[in-house]
Parts: sequence; structure tokens; C-alpha cells
Amino acid sequence: MSVSQASAVIDFKAVADRLLPAGSSYDSCLACGLCSSGCPASGLEGLDPRRFIRMAILGLDAELTSTPWIWTCTQCKRCAQVCPMNIDVSVLVGHARSMWPEEKKPAGIVRSCKAQMLSDSTSAMGVSPEDFVDIVAETAEELRHDDERFAKIEVPIDKQGAFFFVNQNSREPAAEPEEMRPLWKLLDYVGADWTYGSSGWAAENFCMFSGDDAAWKAMVEKRVDAVNALGCKVWINTECGHSFYTLWKGVERFGLKPNFDYASLVTYYAQWIREGKLPVNADWNTKGIKFTLQDPCQLVRKSIGDAAADDLRFVAKTLVGEENFVDMQPCRSANYCCGGGGGFLQAGMKELRHAYGKRKFDQIEATEATYVLTPCHNCHSQMEDLAHHYGGDYRVVHFWTLICLALGILGADERKYLGPDLQDVGLPQ
Amino acid sequence: MNPEPRRITTDVAIVGTGLAGFAAAVFCLDRGIAAVQLGHAGALTYTTGYFDLLGYDRGRSIDDPWRALADLGATWPGHPLARLPRSTIEQAFRRFAEAIGDLGIAYVPPGATNVRALLPTGLAKTTSSIPRTMAAGAAALAEKKRTVIVDFIGLVGFSAKEFVTNFAADWPGLSSAHIGFPDLDGGAEAYPEVMARALEVRATRERLAARIRAVVGDADCVGLPAVLGVHAPDRVHAAMEELVGVPIFEIPTMPPAVPGLRLRELLEQAMPARGLRLVSQHKATRVDLRPDRIDFGYRDNFGEVVIEARTAILATGRFLSGGLVAERSGLRETLIGLPVEQPAGRGDWHRDDCFDVRGHPINRSGVVVDDDFRPLDHDGVPVHPGLFAAGAILAGQDWVRQRCGAGLAIATAWRAVDGVARMSGR
Repeated sequence: MSVSQASAVIDFKAVADRLLPAGSSYDSCLACGLCSSGCPASGLEGLDPRRFIRMAILGLDAELTSTPWIWTCTQCKRCAQVCPMNIDVSVLVGHARSMWPEEKKPAGIVRSCKAQMLSDSTSAMGVSPEDFVDIVAETAEELRHDDERFAKIEVPIDKQGAFFFVNQNSREPAAEPEEMRPLWKLLDYVGADWTYGSSGWAAENFCMFSGDDAAWKAMVEKRVDAVNALGCKVWINTECGHSFYTLWKGVERFGLKPNFDYASLVTYYAQWIREGKLPVNADWNTKGIKFTLQDPCQLVRKSIGDAAADDLRFVAKTLVGEENFVDMQPCRSANYCCGGGGGFLQAGMKELRHAYGKRKFDQIEATEATYVLTPCHNCHSQMEDLAHHYGGDYRVVHFWTLICLALGILGADERKYLGPDLQDVGLPQ
Repeated sequence: MNPEPRRITTDVAIVGTGLAGFAAAVFCLDRGIAAVQLGHAGALTYTTGYFDLLGYDRGRSIDDPWRALADLGATWPGHPLARLPRSTIEQAFRRFAEAIGDLGIAYVPPGATNVRALLPTGLAKTTSSIPRTMAAGAAALAEKKRTVIVDFIGLVGFSAKEFVTNFAADWPGLSSAHIGFPDLDGGAEAYPEVMARALEVRATRERLAARIRAVVGDADCVGLPAVLGVHAPDRVHAAMEELVGVPIFEIPTMPPAVPGLRLRELLEQAMPARGLRLVSQHKATRVDLRPDRIDFGYRDNFGEVVIEARTAILATGRFLSGGLVAERSGLRETLIGLPVEQPAGRGDWHRDDCFDVRGHPINRSGVVVDDDFRPLDHDGVPVHPGLFAAGAILAGQDWVRQRCGAGLAIATAWRAVDGVARMSGR
């Protein structure tokens, strides 16, 4: 993939003057290389963040306008996090993406964005509102039938005035609806007043990654309108990393007017555990199975920061036992991107994505953990793929799975991501 | 999302996340003082990992830093380290090195004399306290041990051949080897950070150890660029020594290097776990000196935050970290607008000879403080009773040239925390 004749050469100096954080500029770059040292995309397509900035300083705008490296940068913002001068390459990459002719952009990302535009669902997997309602109803009916403790569970859609508006990554309704059941069970368990919306329910937003600002805005606007229309107090982003960023950043960037707060489900997991509403512990982990944790860049470094990292660890340690929890290094806001973000998973650049993910693989291997917990679908898919590619012996699991396991309410057919060691543990009696 | 600023109240706000800021945080926690520390990534990451106390003055290396400190007042009147008693400097320096060890990176405690520690270019420098993973290198140099220095194909920032060539006259038993690092030996540029992370994986250690064993020959020890893990380097170091079968030491590499990453990541993770409230991604953008407190404002993704602090320690560094800025009209302190002691005009900033052993006047510029290390206004009166300063922002020192950066940061942080403790009643 390349752009031989980009439609317009970008004046990166002007873009930087406009977009870089206050107080940082090209002029202050020391060329120290901390950005490149800490960037998993360094060396891919012959470029790295330092070279990107140096080339921009030298006015090599035509080369930067056309480099495919911008599709290997996941815009994870780690360069800015380690840069003493706070130079944020990711915003320049975002702008460069927006300037590529659509037909030259990675088709998978563009296709995902276009799918989101098809209906009010905003689903990148093309699940229509009608399909979503049907899938939820069918899956809920199966749950009521299969598990008598949830024989009366309600899965509300478009419930006016519900406290929480809960979103859902399309992967579940489209490909593995049984994975929604643990989420519903725990929402039911804590007695949450919640609803899905038939409009704006989907979590993902590939229009942000494809560099299509108008489409990004349209997606966020539709979601904000949907929550406003139902009068919900809090929009909860479920276990999907970039969804949270794309909403709050979109609201700020496009001047939208939400009448609600936004929160990550992780924040509520922690709160419900502290309040005793989710009485989980690690008693089930009698074998001392080791777990590590992946901090999604979009949720931690790019959005909530250390508060989210703290909540993630509190929940994880409560679930698996402090002695069975091993942090990967680096972690929290300093964590490396796994390489699943930024549309990389959808971009069809498998070899480059695997090379990018080698650092993540090493991080996980260094923990010698059997499981990686993460509240992000892109992280989840990428880390699973890395295990297959590099021969790792770990599995990746959602929080909702472990929470229900610890509560003794995880059904036998809700264990897709658990290994043989946990297929029979804590099965409902 | 939140229209009203969120407010954090604290005993002390520590502004800056370099060595002085973190040293102040360590000392505050020791004394039970509630501290909020804020700052963005700073110059700490550029360190060799060595903690210099006072290594160099007037063109000469210093073997006995304590005697040199005692003499400092005569040659550098007003030098911050000359204004502190030896007991304070010693107590602060020892405590900090010990604290870093407790947090997770073991250091050889500072001794009565300086050690000659290795630099990546094949030179030695006088310093006081060095990481355990590097200790055998200073000993190997002192004892002229038969040593093989190993570097890696594609590695940026370190050349074993250069190291050996420059030490040849001084260290006869030295040789070099150039080998491939597992999975990074294709010739592409590779950073020490990547190698260090990879060596945290057991299988990578075993593969690399096999390659090192093949080039050890009759050497008594092996010198490696500093790549023995970022997290828990002592564990990786011990594991590699066991696998290779001879003592191994690390040599710091050119930035971006691992020793600085180790310190930053360690402090950013371990200090909050011990009670520090660390705001590591933001710089203070607004200050309000009130009669009974000092407010610092910053903005995060959720809006405005105001830290209401009874006292504050300004540890924002000099030019690199942004504590001072050099403008056409002169030097300016960036956060509060404190008076800056500086040469009369731009023409006086530098001497004609770049390598003049006396250094350059601009590099002695900074904030003037009283004996409690409180910044003074133009009339020589403390700007605020609860405002203290520490580290490179202080006037009257040239820490780079004098190799006294850590000593300056740590000892003045201790003194600033003394003042904070008095005001906090602790």
C-alpha cells in the first residue's frame, strides 16, 4: 500500500502549530529518541516517531503525506507520554490519515466506518437496530430458559429514563451473543437500572481511525442523541477500549451537548465491589492460576488515566487474588499499545501488526501468567492472535467472564475464552 | 464533563517529577506529610543511573566529595550544597539511595570516596552511588580485570569496539565482541529498551546467555550495555550471571537509555503505591499564591483541577525541564514569575571558549533562596512563607559541569522538606 500521488501535500509545520498541545512545538525536539525507543511501530515501514518529527522539521512534507507508516501507528499517544517536550505525534498522524484519498486508505478500516453509517445502530459489523433487538431478545430468552436463577431477567431496550445507557461492542450480537449473557447477569445481580438503545448502541468507532472527521462526528452525535432522547443519567462504556475515548473526545472536539455523564464499566465494577453489590473474591482460584492485565491505551493513557488503572487492578486483584496477580511491565499509563488499536486489526496489514505486537507478547511472556484480563475487544483479539503467531501459552479473558465465574453464575456455554483449567470451576449448581 | 474544578487539598504540592521532585516525595512520605506531586516526563529519563554527589571542579576529578563539599563555600560562594551541613547532605543522599533500593533498584551505598564508573564512550567519571548491576564494572576497571565487552548488532547508543579502543591504554585486559541479540539480529536499528524488555522473558535470557557464553573466552567478567531488564533489573542481572557463569556488569548507554527509564517507571509505579498522589501526565499551568496556601491549577481530560496546598516545593528544573526559559530579554522562571539571578545581558551568558573549565555564567543562573530554601523576591524577602525550591532551578551551581546533579537535587529536597515539615507541624 502506498500513495504515489497524494491529493494534497500536508504542511506539517502548520498542522503541528495548530494541533500540538500547548507549550510543545517541533522547535523543542531534542531528537533524544525516547519516543521511538518506546514506540512499538518504530522501524515499521522505515519510520519511527523521531524520524517523523525530524522529517517534518526538514520540510519533507510530501514523503510524510504519503508514508504508509501512519497506518501502523495506532495513535496510542505513548510518544507524547514519554516526551519531555510533550510532542504528540499521534495528532499529526490523525491529520495525515484524514488527508489520504479514501480509495488509498486501508480498505478494512474504511469498510468498518461505512458499515457504521448504514443504520442508526452505528455498528461497524452492520448489525441493524432491528437485528440487534431480535438478537438480544432471542439471547435473553435462551438465558431465561437455560438458567432458572435468571428466569425473570429483563434486558431492556429503549427504556425511557433508565439510569444507565449501556453500549455494546458489535462483536457480541454479531458473532458471539452468548458473551452478552455474563454482562446482563452481573447488571441484574447488582440491580442496575439500565437499558440498551436500539439507536446508538454500538461501541466501536472506526470512523475516528479512518481519519474521517465528519463521520466520527456523525457517529458520536447519533450516540449522544440516543442517550439524550432516553434521558439516561450515565452512559456506560462496556468492555471496549476506544469507545470511551471516541465519545468524550468527540464531544469535546465537535462541541456536542450530552445531558449525561460518561463512565467506563470498569469504574462501576470497582464501585459495586466496594459497595458489596458484587460480592466477588478469589476463593475459586484454588490452583493459584496467574493473571496479568492489559491497560487499554484508549481507556487509561488517553482517557481516564491512573484512576482507571487503579480500578482495573482493584477489580483484578479482588477477582484472582493479590498473590495471583502479576502486572506486565510497563503498565498503567506507560503501557505499550498491543497493536490492535487504531484500526490496525481491521487494516489487513497482518505481518506488520504481528511485528508491532512482539513487545506486547514479550511483556505477557515475562509475567508467566496463564491469563490476560482486558476490558477491550481490540486488545483482546490482538493478544489472542499474538499468542497464536508467536506460540504463547496464555489466554485472554473479559472481566465479565471472571466476575460471573467468581459469583458462581457463569454458565457452561459462557466459557469460550477460558481454558480447560477453568471449564468446570464455579459452575452453577 | 465537570464544569466546576475538582479540588485536591494537601500538605504539600511538589511541582516537578525529576530527581529533586521525587526525592522530596520520598522524604515527605518518610515523615508522614501528605503530598501531591505533578509534572510531565522530564529529564530524569536521561540519567546514566549514577547518583553524583560532587564529582568534578575547576577542571579536576574529585576523589573525596566530602572534603570538596567542605571547601565549596570558598570557591563557589552561595552554592546550594555549600549552604547545607555535611550531616544533611549525607543523611539525604544515603536515605534516597536506600529508598530507591527498597522500591526496587538496588544501589551501592555512597561511600567516603567517589568511585570511577564507566561511561558508554570508554571513559570513566567520578560519582558516588551506582546501581548494583553496574558495580562490577567499576571494580573491573579498578582491578584491570580481563573483561569482554559485548554489544549487539543494530544496537543504538553503544559500541563495544569504541569502548575498548578508548580504554585500551588504561585497561589492557579488555576485549570486545559483537553478537546478535535474539530476534533482533536482522540488522535493523534496535533500542536498548526493546532488548531490556525482551530480557525480562526467561526464554530470551537463556538464548542470549548461550550467545554470550560463546564469546567469553578466558575473560573474568562480561560488560554489557545496560539492557538487563527495565523492571526488576537486579533479578534479570542475577539470572544472567547464573546463566553465563561469570560476573556481569552493565554500562550505561546514550539516551534513550534504560537506566533512566528504570528510575522513572519505578518511581511512577512504586511511589503512588506508598501513598503519594502523583499526577504524572500534567504540568501546573496556573499558580495562585494565597495568604494561607498555594493553589496550582492544571487541566486533565475531565476539566480543571486545583491543588490547594498548604506548602509547595518548586522542583521544575532548569532549561531542559522547563523551569526556566531563555528569552531574548533574559531568563524567566516559567511558573510563578520568580526573580532569576542571571548575567546582566545575553552577551554575558557564555564565555568565548566553549570548553572553558570555569563553565558559562548562564549555567549558574536560577532562583535565589534563603537558608530555608524559600525563593526570594527582588527585595530579598520570601515570596511566600510556604513556598520552597529544590534542585536544578536553584541559582549558584553548575550541576552538569560539577557532576553534582543528584547531590544537589536530593540534599536541597531534604532541606525543602524540613521547611515543609515545620510548617505542617510534622
